[in-house]
Amino acid sequence: MAIFVGTQGQKKNNRHLTRALALLFLAGCGSGEKKDEKNADGSVQSMLTNPYPSTYEPYSGEPTVITGATILTSTGEVIENGAIFFRDGKIEAVGKADKIDAPKGDVVTIDGAGKFVTAGIIDNHSHLGVYPSPGFSSTSDGNEAVSPNTANVWAEHSVWPHDPGFTRALAGGITSLQILPGSANLFGGRAVTLKNVPSRTVQGMKFPDAPYGMKMACGENPKRVYGNKGGPSTRMANFSGYRSAWIDAADYKKKWQDYAEKSGNGEEADAPTRDLKNETLAGVLAGDILVNMHCYRADEMAQVIDMSKEFGYQVTAFHHVVEGYKAADILAENGICASVWADWWGFKLEAYDGVRENAALIHNQPDSCVIMHSDSGVGIQRLNQEVAKAVADGRRIGIDIPPEEAIKWITANPAKALGVLDKTGTLEVGKMADLVVWDGDPFSVYTKTSKVFIDGALMYDADDTSVSPRMDFEVGQQANRTTGGAGQ
Amino acid sequence: MRHILKTCVAIAAFAVAVLTPASAQPIAIINAELHLAGSANNPRTIQNGSLVIDNGRIVSVGANVVAPANAQVIDAKGQPVTPGLFAPVSGVGLVEISLNSEATERSADDDFPLSAALDAEDALNTDSSIIAISRTAGLTRAYVAPTTGGKLFGGCGTVIDFSGSADPVTKSCVGQSVSLGFSGSTVAGGTKTGMMSLFRIYLEEATVYAKDPAEYRYMAAASDLSQADLKALMPFVRGEKPMFVEVHSAPDIRRLIKLQDDLGLELVLVGASEAWRVATELARADIPVIINPTDNLPRRFETMAATLENAARLEAAGVTVSFFDDDVHNVRLLPQLAGNAVANGMSHQGALAAITLNSAKILGLENQLGTLQAGKIADIVVWDGDPLELSTRPVSVIINGKVMSLENRQTVLARRYRELSRGDKPHAYRGE
Repeated sequence: MAIFVGTQGQKKNNRHLTRALALLFLAGCGSGEKKDEKNADGSVQSMLTNPYPSTYEPYSGEPTVITGATILTSTGEVIENGAIFFRDGKIEAVGKADKIDAPKGDVVTIDGAGKFVTAGIIDNHSHLGVYPSPGFSSTSDGNEAVSPNTANVWAEHSVWPHDPGFTRALAGGITSLQILPGSANLFGGRAVTLKNVPSRTVQGMKFPDAPYGMKMACGENPKRVYGNKGGPSTRMANFSGYRSAWIDAADYKKKWQDYAEKSGNGEEADAPTRDLKNETLAGVLAGDILVNMHCYRADEMAQVIDMSKEFGYQVTAFHHVVEGYKAADILAENGICASVWADWWGFKLEAYDGVRENAALIHNQPDSCVIMHSDSGVGIQRLNQEVAKAVADGRRIGIDIPPEEAIKWITANPAKALGVLDKTGTLEVGKMADLVVWDGDPFSVYTKTSKVFIDGALMYDADDTSVSPRMDFEVGQQANRTTGGAGQ
Repeated sequence: MRHILKTCVAIAAFAVAVLTPASAQPIAIINAELHLAGSANNPRTIQNGSLVIDNGRIVSVGANVVAPANAQVIDAKGQPVTPGLFAPVSGVGLVEISLNSEATERSADDDFPLSAALDAEDALNTDSSIIAISRTAGLTRAYVAPTTGGKLFGGCGTVIDFSGSADPVTKSCVGQSVSLGFSGSTVAGGTKTGMMSLFRIYLEEATVYAKDPAEYRYMAAASDLSQADLKALMPFVRGEKPMFVEVHSAPDIRRLIKLQDDLGLELVLVGASEAWRVATELARADIPVIINPTDNLPRRFETMAATLENAARLEAAGVTVSFFDDDVHNVRLLPQLAGNAVANGMSHQGALAAITLNSAKILGLENQLGTLQAGKIADIVVWDGDPLELSTRPVSVIINGKVMSLENRQTVLARRYRELSRGDKPHAYRGE
């Protein structure tokens, strides 16, 4: 994620900052992992500082054991009569209730009989905060629809952390989510991954060390929005727009690499001028920023894949992918996640060929990666239901997807696409204790969340209004006095 | 509801006339968990029941019904059998592609002169793929209504069946679409004061026109409503037909109830995010409410009290509730909406009635549709589980007494691309 880099404690030192930027492109570091590299002068260069760093700090939670529950681990396992123990924000044990190490000392015990436990739900396509409630023109901050290339904008600068939608999502089990800019533009800008813990600041919600994402869009949206505003007005111009931008970005990246090389060799060199668009695009080419591309049609996805090879970058996830079932093999072969809805279709011609078996057909390929996403402040509250529907439709055409696999669509797979699978997304020892206790089978329409833990802290409790956040906008409003808490 | 009482006799005769001729052979559904879908306070379920259909109608239903010897038998295998699902408001048949003006008929351009005079039936695409796609999910009937475009009125809607017939109309020009609340104010000078004034003026003009068109000509021209619109509004200002009014906040709803009292209108509220706050008054005024039970965000000040418990609270107060989703293409998700209403406190029977009987009531068709009762039109769904559960799908859908195909272009497409290999021939040759 280290597009803005600098030495610790010297963030404002331009020389260090620009040199670090150059180092980044040279190194081409492909993950969001923290990397310390030796500079030519021997000082340690941190690759991870950025101008808007995460200040997220987990809230403290009691050491807790949940016993007797059905646990879907998101590693492909279902544990009947299972138990999970977490402490200091991390999962310490998961297994059969009678097999896990009995924790010692003061431990909160939750009776999980009749309940299910899953990893925290993760949505990799949300516009909460950038299209918040209330949805006024003054809060419509999700789409800088003034130019087809706005790779320069960052969604986090639009996110309103007080959006009540975050609380509704929490009650639906969402523990992490990616906020994307809208899809009007070829390049929509940078996405940001958040922990769903309310904070006064966006920085206070930013998922620590998560890589950045970038939003791109295929097809109808850019040509509809810009058709009468100088273009693109055709799909071919969409592609020419993408490609021209990648050519510029490759050039920009090279300038910084040349500069880093020279200054590394002790030669005099002037740092190139920074350019926000190209910083993000070059970050993609360097493998640091993950591409999330809105794309419905199979034929367009195939074209985008060729383009990614032309310029040497990877598409991390296509989003919406209503025609994914027509290209499921191509997506899997290219290691691209398909972030889909269960049954949305028909609102655009490019979404006309939606089928209810889409997720199952994509899942049915070897090495596939299905993600159920929301793109909606309502849908994000029940992604578990979207999975349940899609699984049922798969079963009807002979594709059986057991719950312990299907749960990955809203936990491990989005975590992978966000570059945070090493930290969350499964119930495994050592991972963040992001988990949901459901009051029944999460794939039943009648099931609701009972408790939601984030980093081991109880952030939502359906039975305790004091553990149910209320955003500022809703506080003290006469109208909603008896509506309830986060889930409302 | 008053208008229903007034009109049901006429409809009974009408509905018979428009029924698609059914197959001569009777149909018997046996071994069924029959959800008769009576009212919520009269939930009646019969285990191991049977139901016989003949000539498009349910002829007998109950525990001791014997299938006629010549009947086509459908064994429900103990699974639920319910009335066909009935969408109380939708755009099916008016919209193919929501965002393409080439493929939408639901809403006139803002500056188009007519509004109330428009009739959904004139634009109805009886071949819409959404009909078969929805039918596969258990939808058998819908009220198809225009939206209001740049006016307060949108025109009248029509009830159709989802049989795919060339003449699917059950009942013509049932209601008038009206936008009040914020969406109405945006087309009436930007304020709710302007909107309500304009609404009253329109109603007054239509009332005068209804009494005597000659007298109307002497009125000072106060509004832009055409005579065609005024003429179309006549049955609505006389309280003979319902206006389907989009409105959300409790204060706006109270204002509307007062207007109803003053003018003797028939109202159905649509949206109604805060209806639960006015539940007692709505029950007393016998005003039905069509809500989305998952609507719980304070998108505007007028939906500050939107809550997942809206359905349950309205049910508790005795209000007639039905469900809708704005998404024309996913009218098929009515069971999921109903299931979520149950998850948030509504009775299961009440939620099932909401998407069957209550829709029929709202549209003045409860004597014809909405329950499993002898004499009613045979719109019936056999399910493979709890009809409100996410994993459940219909195994048999019957409309007007005929067993329907559960195929649609989506099932064809899924089959076509089940196998992605190059094959002997391209995909364009496969899977029909």
